[in-house]
Amino acid sequence: MDYPIWDFAMGGGMLMALVAVPHVIVAHFAVGGGLLIAVTETLGVRRNDPELRELAKRSSLVLILVSTVYGAISGVGIWVVAGLISPGAISSLIHNYVWGWAIEWVFFILEIVAALVYYGTWDKISKKAHMLVGWLYFVGAYGSLVVINGIITYQLTPGKWLESHAFWDGFFNPTYWPATLLRTGVALMMAAAFMLFPASKSREAGTRLVRYIGGWLVAGSLISYVGYRWWEAQLGETTRALFLGESPTLASLAATRSFTLWALAAALVLGIVFLLIVPRSIKAIVPGILVMVAAFAFFGGWERLREGSRKPFLIHSHLFSNGLLVEDIERINSAGLQAYTGWASTGGLDDPIEVGRRVFKIQCAACHTLGGYRSITEALPTFQEMLAVTANDPPGSGAAAFEAGCASCHRDSNFEEMVEFMPGADEMKEDPEMVTDLLVGMITGTLEQLRDMGQAYVDADRSVQFDTQTTAYPMMPPFVGNDEDLEALATFLGTLTHDGASTVLTGGGE
Amino acid sequence: MTPDLIPAVDAAGLPGPVWLFQFLLVLTFFLHLLFVNLTLGGTLMAAISHTLARGRADDPRGVLAGRLIGINGYGISLTITTGVAPLLFIQLLYHQFFYTATILIGWMWLSLLLFLTVGYYAVYLYKFKGAPARGRGGGVWLWTAAILFMVIGAIQVAVNLIHMQPGSWEALAGNPWAILNDPTFVPRYLHFLLAGVALSAMVVTWWAVRQARQGIDPDLNGTIAHFAWKWVLWASVLQIADGLWLTMALPKDVLLGLMRGGGATMGPFTVGVFFGIGILVMVARCSDPVTRPALVTATLGTTLATMAIMVVTRDQVRSIYMGSSVDLSQFVIRAQWGNFWLFAILLVLGLATVYYMIRRVLNEPAEGADAA
Repeated sequence: MDYPIWDFAMGGGMLMALVAVPHVIVAHFAVGGGLLIAVTETLGVRRNDPELRELAKRSSLVLILVSTVYGAISGVGIWVVAGLISPGAISSLIHNYVWGWAIEWVFFILEIVAALVYYGTWDKISKKAHMLVGWLYFVGAYGSLVVINGIITYQLTPGKWLESHAFWDGFFNPTYWPATLLRTGVALMMAAAFMLFPASKSREAGTRLVRYIGGWLVAGSLISYVGYRWWEAQLGETTRALFLGESPTLASLAATRSFTLWALAAALVLGIVFLLIVPRSIKAIVPGILVMVAAFAFFGGWERLREGSRKPFLIHSHLFSNGLLVEDIERINSAGLQAYTGWASTGGLDDPIEVGRRVFKIQCAACHTLGGYRSITEALPTFQEMLAVTANDPPGSGAAAFEAGCASCHRDSNFEEMVEFMPGADEMKEDPEMVTDLLVGMITGTLEQLRDMGQAYVDADRSVQFDTQTTAYPMMPPFVGNDEDLEALATFLGTLTHDGASTVLTGGGE
Repeated sequence: MTPDLIPAVDAAGLPGPVWLFQFLLVLTFFLHLLFVNLTLGGTLMAAISHTLARGRADDPRGVLAGRLIGINGYGISLTITTGVAPLLFIQLLYHQFFYTATILIGWMWLSLLLFLTVGYYAVYLYKFKGAPARGRGGGVWLWTAAILFMVIGAIQVAVNLIHMQPGSWEALAGNPWAILNDPTFVPRYLHFLLAGVALSAMVVTWWAVRQARQGIDPDLNGTIAHFAWKWVLWASVLQIADGLWLTMALPKDVLLGLMRGGGATMGPFTVGVFFGIGILVMVARCSDPVTRPALVTATLGTTLATMAIMVVTRDQVRSIYMGSSVDLSQFVIRAQWGNFWLFAILLVLGLATVYYMIRRVLNEPAEGADAA
């Protein structure tokens, strides 16, 4: 949180998704493809089946063009983007797990060299030597997956690491093995989805090869399902409650889970029907694309579920998504944000709105944009919304407006209390300045609640995962800073709630 | 100087002593630089050679362009692969400086990904002789790749300069392009570019000489060797002039710091300069590289040695630039020796496996039914 903030109107989370989603799909294809291609070539040689061997050869071109080029660049891209949008978080991960990444790099070297050699030596070296290269590629690619998986799962379920801070306690965390199984299944699904097209192009053996690929897809789907159920069971009860049960805490996450499982079911059914029962249908392209889309949708859904379950943390119970360490909450609250980072005060401290803008960038911009994705402006109360509540015309519409626009932030109040607290509609229309003051006051109240929430994290037992559902805003990091920081942020946010917002929005290039 | 802009040292500490990570940073950066030079200099040289040959594949310069891109198809992958490790270790040791530098030129830094992707695929388009690359049209893809790789080099130089100079951060926050006004920017950039051209030309010469001596297309390989050898000569001449420019452009404190470092800093620097002059002398004394294979090999070896020494000097210059802004002793050391040994053993095993694999590949050509 003490780094400068990179302005990105689309929002850092969206940018990360744009880079990371294609990368993980390609990366899993690189792993599963390694296994499928090595097995396919081996079977082709042992059974003296030139069609199988040809399938391996054609697929290896896709493997090299997609995985060693795009996969490698987008893998570095994740670091590039993470360094831009969450430098403190990626730094924390690297300082805890640098040896894990260094080991992964060794597997990565083997993977890339083997891929280049494998593609470049078809029919130029003995079949035995070529098969060996293919299997070495798979060892490198799969080794890379099992190492990275330890670091990724540690972020969601750090387990004993929270108490010991020991490398292996975090690595072999509660969801490590289930996620390894799940990712193995996903890797097979991704590979089958990509290899479907080279398989369908074979004139003589297309049907047989499509059925062969279909077997892998079905196996991958079943492995993924077992891995998913195991993974879900290993999540803490409070994390599961975010998206499971009769009234899940997060309806959107519950919908994501439902979407994920339906997509998996669709991939399985489509795979059985189009690839195993009616393999000729793949010639029509559309069925193949449907299978591919279903497989990607399942994987994308699960990744979204995994990321969403971790909120508001980047490393659960240790580091928030905006780079705030749990252990720094008290220090920043007492000393103030400007004492914590010089970037909060560059450009002068005279203008409270400018200071507030910097506080916003430092604390909120990791998740919110001003007017785009997860717009903070849209989340703030507006003059019209307040008017709708107080005017209550026709009767009953005020309560509905309160429920729609205010209830999620004012959990301690009901509609009647809010009406009593707010000035009348006529009074509001006559004195807009007073409304602005009122809005700033309401924002200040919410920020104070968010700051108080930090104390719950401070007081909690840090050796176990924190139950975020016990807080007022379970998906948000606490606000940190002294009264001046809080006031500055409230003043800045207040400018976004009235017509003057446009001048502020365009003033800093956001 | 605004030290309060420097973020705090990561509280997680270092999982090993500082010297170990400094060693790994310098070592892996050297490995990375080998492939960077081939990618950057090789693609530029290929584009120029292709243009001079007017896109004709029967022209020796056209053959040279094809050879360079033949290497680069693999070289770019290895550039990225070997780049992962120094990227990891610089984030570990200099995270406060590195991340801040990349954020200050965030858009440029992010665009690097796009440039790399397009540049890489452009190389493949040329290599596979697809429709756009056929005949003279291939030059478009070569120049696309060469220009994009040169831009990437400029972005890397910018990040390097910014991360070393926290005193410039506040000004750069308002105008990131101001980094181009740094007096060392151009000579530093040219230093890398010329090194890339020199090494690529050297490798091409060495290979062509070797082929010619084995009786494989002696005329063609002789012509390529002569052509590339001239590139080595002129790149070395310009490199020495640029090296002098870079040294003179360094801030006075940095230059004095380099000199006051005594043998530890002046030793590698002086040896590097002498080696550079030595390369020039060796190249200038030989007009026909095909007749002097030992000299060509020795020049290639000296070039690699010079690069290794200059990587050490570069790291020392970074420390001098940063001065009191960085204090690596602030890191809490929580050594994970078991993990280090696991990494070291796996690295040895991994490299041994790569060696074994390549040996098998070289020793087992397809014969009989295998050659089908």
